[in-house]
Amino acid sequence: MSKFSHIYIEEGATAYPVTQHVLSRFPRSIRVAIRHYKDVFNRPHQNFRRQKASPKLILAVKQEPFLYPGPEVCEDFGHPNFYYTSPVLNCIYDCDYCYLQGLYPSANIVIFVNIEDFFKAVDRKLESGPLYLCPSYDTDLLALEGIVPYASRWIEFAATRQDLVIELRTKSANYSAIAHLKPAEQVILAWSLSPGEVARRYERLAPPLKTRLTAIKAALQDGWQVRLCFEPLLKVYSWQHVYNEFLDEVFSILPAEKIFDANIGVFRMSKEHFKRISRMRNDTDVFAFPMVCCEGEVVTYEDEKELRDFFYQGLKRYLPEGKIYG
Amino acid sequence: MIYVVTALPYEASPIIKKYGLKRDEACRHFPLYRADNMVLIVSGVGKLASAMATAYLLAQNMKHEEAKEEESLAVINIGVCGAVDQRYPIGTSVLIYKVIDHETGKQYFPDILIQHPFEEGSVETCNQVVRREDVLSSRVELQANLVDMEASGFFQAASRFLAPHQIYIVKVVGDHLDVVDFNGQRVTQCITGALEAMDELLKQVQKVCRVESDVLTPDERLQLGQVKQSLRLTVTQSHQLMDMARRYKLRTGRSLPDLSEFARTEVKVKAEGRKALEKIRRLLLYE
Ligand code: SF4
Repeated sequence: MSKFSHIYIEEGATAYPVTQHVLSRFPRSIRVAIRHYKDVFNRPHQNFRRQKASPKLILAVKQEPFLYPGPEVCEDFGHPNFYYTSPVLNCIYDCDYCYLQGLYPSANIVIFVNIEDFFKAVDRKLESGPLYLCPSYDTDLLALEGIVPYASRWIEFAATRQDLVIELRTKSANYSAIAHLKPAEQVILAWSLSPGEVARRYERLAPPLKTRLTAIKAALQDGWQVRLCFEPLLKVYSWQHVYNEFLDEVFSILPAEKIFDANIGVFRMSKEHFKRISRMRNDTDVFAFPMVCCEGEVVTYEDEKELRDFFYQGLKRYLPEGKIYG
Repeated sequence: MIYVVTALPYEASPIIKKYGLKRDEACRHFPLYRADNMVLIVSGVGKLASAMATAYLLAQNMKHEEAKEEESLAVINIGVCGAVDQRYPIGTSVLIYKVIDHETGKQYFPDILIQHPFEEGSVETCNQVVRREDVLSSRVELQANLVDMEASGFFQAASRFLAPHQIYIVKVVGDHLDVVDFNGQRVTQCITGALEAMDELLKQVQKVCRVESDVLTPDERLQLGQVKQSLRLTVTQSHQLMDMARRYKLRTGRSLPDLSEFARTEVKVKAEGRKALEKIRRLLLYE
């Protein structure tokens, strides 16, 4: 069945312009009125995999809180005041290793239509000092730009705020959707990259590496600050070779001196979360390499350090140490 | 296996005929009919009756562990309903995406993940028969266009057992809330008219409701079971063993190595079992 064949709309969300915009994109979808998004999103026993094959949209109004402190395990890039926010829950891509599949009870995509309330919450937070904010953590906003223009809304908003830095993380190649905007120093476009083979194998529905690189190159040419996220580094057969070739490929296309910064993160996950997801996914080998549980109940590869150090050394050939995080 | 719940014998009879179901005389609590891949129960009228019959049907018959690989599991409530709106002609069959319980106001949502030949709509389940004049005079205020007496009970019971994409409700418009005399034959006719579409729906349902097959083959599961027993593994150790075995297969794409040596080792003390498990771990994780 086609994507978004049904759109569930909270009673309170109907009047918002974003709701009307999204509905106009899907004139043939069946519209189902609901009282609260959790009546659909939080139903028991939902099958994430089956729903992923025919995801639905849920339009809802977010209530407080709008901003959450950045999780310990995520890189803060030296910003003391690191927060994230989720104007959208879930993603149109389907990466085997995606942590969202055990995080939410449903694979359906929730769009919170009261974007202005998110902005007001940011303004309130800014009163107490500078803020580093990630609005594309539990989703991929740029990938959704054709459905709901939130990447551009966040860019436009951030561009008018001193003391605010936002990171828009993405695997999308949809740069053309925001290419008309003026690059802003408050905005970092952060692309997650994996070797072509890894992307093909484990990042279903996401654009191939080459297409992502072309998008990044265009963004750099236009003067955007671009962060490269090499995360999660995955254990694959002959990973040394695969990751070396990958770095060569990336920097044969992208001018290294124009890259704002980069971060590295080997695959890791909380133990409980890992258990849940790996049980759900017996159709992928991404969780099948020997793992250990280290400090803080986090699961990672036994030779995580080796993988990380190897990649770090490789990346250092292209970027100065000061620009590499993680 | 497809489970079917109808309220009335008149609704059940065309289904029984089409799918060649046979009465299960051993069931003394409800009229129950079976074929190889379908079981049908006749619940009686009302949401409580429907909930009881649905729970009975699924609890008695659905044994997840024994589900054959690639078997499909789904439950369907099919029956007639009334339509407020005249735009639904008599005989229109509707696949339900929202159930409203009139008395509690609660709403329930099956997942519709398949292509199907039906119209879609929502139904409101009421304890009493609703008449047209009740609606026109606002004595009864309805939120949905279709009215029945079972769907909310059926859905609540079914969702204790199954995922929302395994629960289906098909309602066939039998009247416009204007029935004076109940006519069983008309009910049967309505359901008969919906059977072709229902057959199409069932084909899609079979595909999407397949039980996820295990990477381990039945033979491998058997051998691992023997290993667990002879090594006297604890519950946690048994889980670890199964987990390692599955991951080995996913990672290497090969069948499990021969573990019969461990299936034959009769350990006397737990420590020996632990040691043997460590050996298996090395075999499965580091090859
Ligand atoms: S792009 Fe990110 S959020 Fe989307 S499926 Fe992949 S890992 Fe998950």
